[in-house]
Amino acid sequence: MPGSMTQPDMSAVMTGEGVRAEALARWQQDGWPGPRAEAWRFTPVDGLAARDLVPATVLAGVASGPGTAAAAGISAHVIRFENGVLDPSGLAGLPAGLRVREMADDEQALSRLQQIAPKGHPVSDLSLAAMTGGIVIDVDGTVPSPLMLLFEGGETGAAAHPVILIRLAPKAHLQLAEWHQSDVGLAAPLIGVDIAAGARLEQVKVQAEGAATTHLAATGVALAEGASIAGFSLCTGGALARLETHVALVGSGADCELSAIYMGRGDQHQDITTYMDHAVAECTSNQIIRGVLDDSSRGVYQGRVHVAPDAQKTDGQQMARALLLSRKAEADAKPELEIYADDVVCAHGATVGELDATQLFYLTSRGIPYETARAMLIEAFLIDTIETIENETLAGLLRPVAEAWLAGGKAA
Amino acid sequence: MTALLEIRDLHASVGETPILKGINLTINAGEVHAIMGPNGSGKSTMSYVLAGRDGYEVTGGDILMNGESMLEMEPDERARAGMFLAFQYPVELPGVGGMSFLRAAVNARRVEAGEEEIDQLGFVKIVREKARLLGISDEMLKRAVNVGFSGGEKKRYEILQMALLEPRMAVLDETDSGLDVDALRIVSEGVNLLRDPGRAMLVITHYQRLLNHIVPDYVHILADGRVRKTGGKELALEVEESGYAGIDDAA
Repeated sequence: MPGSMTQPDMSAVMTGEGVRAEALARWQQDGWPGPRAEAWRFTPVDGLAARDLVPATVLAGVASGPGTAAAAGISAHVIRFENGVLDPSGLAGLPAGLRVREMADDEQALSRLQQIAPKGHPVSDLSLAAMTGGIVIDVDGTVPSPLMLLFEGGETGAAAHPVILIRLAPKAHLQLAEWHQSDVGLAAPLIGVDIAAGARLEQVKVQAEGAATTHLAATGVALAEGASIAGFSLCTGGALARLETHVALVGSGADCELSAIYMGRGDQHQDITTYMDHAVAECTSNQIIRGVLDDSSRGVYQGRVHVAPDAQKTDGQQMARALLLSRKAEADAKPELEIYADDVVCAHGATVGELDATQLFYLTSRGIPYETARAMLIEAFLIDTIETIENETLAGLLRPVAEAWLAGGKAA
Repeated sequence: MTALLEIRDLHASVGETPILKGINLTINAGEVHAIMGPNGSGKSTMSYVLAGRDGYEVTGGDILMNGESMLEMEPDERARAGMFLAFQYPVELPGVGGMSFLRAAVNARRVEAGEEEIDQLGFVKIVREKARLLGISDEMLKRAVNVGFSGGEKKRYEILQMALLEPRMAVLDETDSGLDVDALRIVSEGVNLLRDPGRAMLVITHYQRLLNHIVPDYVHILADGRVRKTGGKELALEVEESGYAGIDDAA
């Protein structure tokens, strides 16, 4: 209304459609980053531009979903995406404490997602714009059984852009399993996790995509006062995969455990990138990253911990270790600490190495054959990390996948 | 009779440095031999050369077990043939469960001998029984191999492995180092229980005190990579009184 200063300027309030149009505009400007983009130096994805990948739209409806949870011996509610398209049958029969609806053009959800999604990440923009399926999950109270988000589908020419916003109300508690086992050309899940005061998310992610799939995940997490997340990712699949997670610790006493293990064989490329933003005082973050690389595979860990000037009493830890099993395998690590507060405890470390010769000698000196000894040490290196997961149900999902990889087979 | 272990004019180097310079030693089944010597005499090198550790290169001579040369055998093959080394510094294996480690070792030997692998339940029973004699608790057995063990616990765990693997030739490398009087007694009793007419032991030590508990049949003094003097158990006492200083002259 002209002349009135008290009325809000309606043109500044964007519709959901507007949020997505803007994301598309940004995407069209930036495109897929190549090796000259610093954040993508080790993992250039500009090759995707030449591939004729089409966002999937149709649900074929081959429901194999609940099988995964059942096979792993857990009882979980499964919401399934096929080639990135939501299978709406998963929205029925939800356990107490869960509300799930389609995102569509929900302006509020899209805006919030955009706020917490990794900034400047191509998937944050493209998946918002090209969303093939989207849901908003609201959690109130303690959900008794785990929720599984299952991503599958065999459209090798498809680009899957599932978009998910998870909101935990104050003091809510959710156990979440994210399971990726598709054969799509590009899997580009965009996930926002908004954790209110005192709420807790226990989450595991399995990235066991098909051998030709490019998996680019962008996840944003916001932690309010006393909120916590215990996240663990296991990556065995895909031709090229990057899990990028940005965490904003914006309420004091927030706690973030974010660990990952990755395994590479053949020409696989596995990238774990994290950005931990300690914005306020008295928060803790801890990251344990371990990788095992065989053949000509490559592993990348980029971890940045940012501690704002006001974020006193921050405890931020990150430790990355990569184990090279072949002379052709390669690991790159770039841990970074940016500390602007003076009263903090922060540590980081990254090591790349081979199996310990002394440990191998000790095992073989007991009569254990060399190959068995080697397998025992590789397993120990990985399983040791899985043992840090407090939630036994979720940890139980990961062990068979790790063991299948160790046994030389494709992940279950 | 073929000796259980025969070391013939053994020369070995670590890197470019010659450490063992012509060792001759014959050990028969049922015997306990002690090797004493000052720091740097080559005691630990000898234990690693016998076990076949990478980087300890034999440049001359031979090592025969039951008349067959071991030089071309890998450490695991030597172990399955009956060689056992109790480490001076047992190695921590984070993430490797103690029971699965012990079972893998025992089963490797059983498979080699054409026996069936031992099942888990039966194995746990055997381990517990032998562990009890060495004062090793169930809690310790559940931990990762050597992780969080005290020095004494590590040495007892070495002897437990020896008891389970029932080697023909056991080499104990400075098993007394870092042990207090009580731990020394427990470890020695464990070792003495394993003395057997079919088994030989080579006890490597810097000090005589271990040999009060594990009484050897023969004592060899090693200096500068050679056996300088051989005698009975009383030779250890001689060294205790007059030190290693006089030994070289007697060579």
